[in-house]
Amino acid sequence: MRLALLALTAVLVAGAADNGKILGSPTAPLRLEVYSDFACPACRTFHEQTLPMIVRDYVMPGKLAIVNHEFPLNIPAHKHSREAANYATAAARLGIYQPVSDALFRAQESWNESGKVWETVATVLSADQQKKVQALVKDPTVPAEVQHDVDAGTKEKISGTPTIFLVRGAQRLPIPFPVNYGFLRSLIDGYLK
Amino acid sequence: MATSSNALRWTTLVLRVVLGVIFVYAAWAKLRLPWQLFAMSIDSYQLLPTPLVELLARTLPWFELLLGLVLIAGWWLRITSTMISALLLVFFSLIVRAALKGQEISCGCFGPGETISWKTMLRDGSMLAGSLFVTAMAFVSRRRSRMPAPEAPPLDGTPPVPAPNLPPSESQ
Repeated sequence: MRLALLALTAVLVAGAADNGKILGSPTAPLRLEVYSDFACPACRTFHEQTLPMIVRDYVMPGKLAIVNHEFPLNIPAHKHSREAANYATAAARLGIYQPVSDALFRAQESWNESGKVWETVATVLSADQQKKVQALVKDPTVPAEVQHDVDAGTKEKISGTPTIFLVRGAQRLPIPFPVNYGFLRSLIDGYLK
Repeated sequence: MATSSNALRWTTLVLRVVLGVIFVYAAWAKLRLPWQLFAMSIDSYQLLPTPLVELLARTLPWFELLLGLVLIAGWWLRITSTMISALLLVFFSLIVRAALKGQEISCGCFGPGETISWKTMLRDGSMLAGSLFVTAMAFVSRRRSRMPAPEAPPLDGTPPVPAPNLPPSESQ
C-alpha cells in the first residue's frame, strides 16, 4: 500500500509512464531495471522492503526511474507465475501495475499454492477495471509482451530472480542480491554527483 | 627420471602463470567497477559486519592484483603460493557453504553477475587444487636446492666421504 502510494505520486510527478511499468521520470539520469517473478520470495522481499526506500529517496525526486520486467521462472514451484505476469502486464496498460503487483506479492504464498491468481488481482480492481483487465489478458499482445521480457532477460543471461541492473547511459551494472541498501545508496549517490 | 622432473617443472610453471593471470583478471574485473558492487557481493554471504565488508571491498582486489603479479614473476614463491592457496581455500569454503545453505547469491569472484553454481565450485576447486600443487612444488624444490649434490663414488673402490652439513641457504 505504501509502495502503491509512493509509486502513484512518483508517476504523477513524472507525468509519464511508458508501457505502464516504468516508475518515475523516463528522463531520470539513472535507471534501475528489475527482472522479477511474482512467485519468487526474494522478489517479494525486494519489492516490499528495498523498493519503497528507493522510490522515496530517488524516484520521487526524479533522480532514478524503475523499469519493471517480467521474468516468470519456468519451474514447477512457480507454475502460476506466467499467469500472474500476464495479469500484471494487462493491468499496466491501464496504468495500474503497482497496485496489482503489490497485491500479487502480498498474497504470493496463497495464489501460488491455490492457483487463484485472478481472485488476488481482482481484490484491488474496480468492477470496470476487472472487465478491462480480463479483456486485455486475452489480447495476444499481452503474453507476447511478457515473453519479450523473458527473451530480453535470457539474452542478459539471467539465471535467477530478482535480477537488478543499474543503468547509466550505455553502462549496465548488475546489482548483487540481496541488496544492501547502504551500499546501493552510496553507489547511486556516487553516480549522481 | 629427468623427463618426469622436467614435466613437473613445466606443469608448475604453467599453473603458476595461469593462476597469476586469473588473480590479475579477478582484480581488474572488480577494480574497473565501483567498489560498492563488490561490497554488495561480499555482504550477500551475510558473514561480516558492514564496516569490515567495506574495508575488504576496497582492499581485497588490490591484494589480489599484487599476489597475481608476484606469482607470475615467481618471486617469494613459497610465501606467495601459500597466501594464494589460503585465500582460495577461504573462497572455496565460503562458496560451498553458501551452496549448502541454498543461498542463490552472486559469488563476487570476477565482479558481479555470477550466481553461485556447481560450475563456480568446480572452477574454484580446480584453482585451489592447482594452487596447492604449486605451493607443494615450491616447498619441494626449496628442499631439493638445500640438499648437497650426490658425489660420484671414487673409482678405486674406497667408500665415499659423507658430505658435511651445509648451513641453510638464505635465498628463496
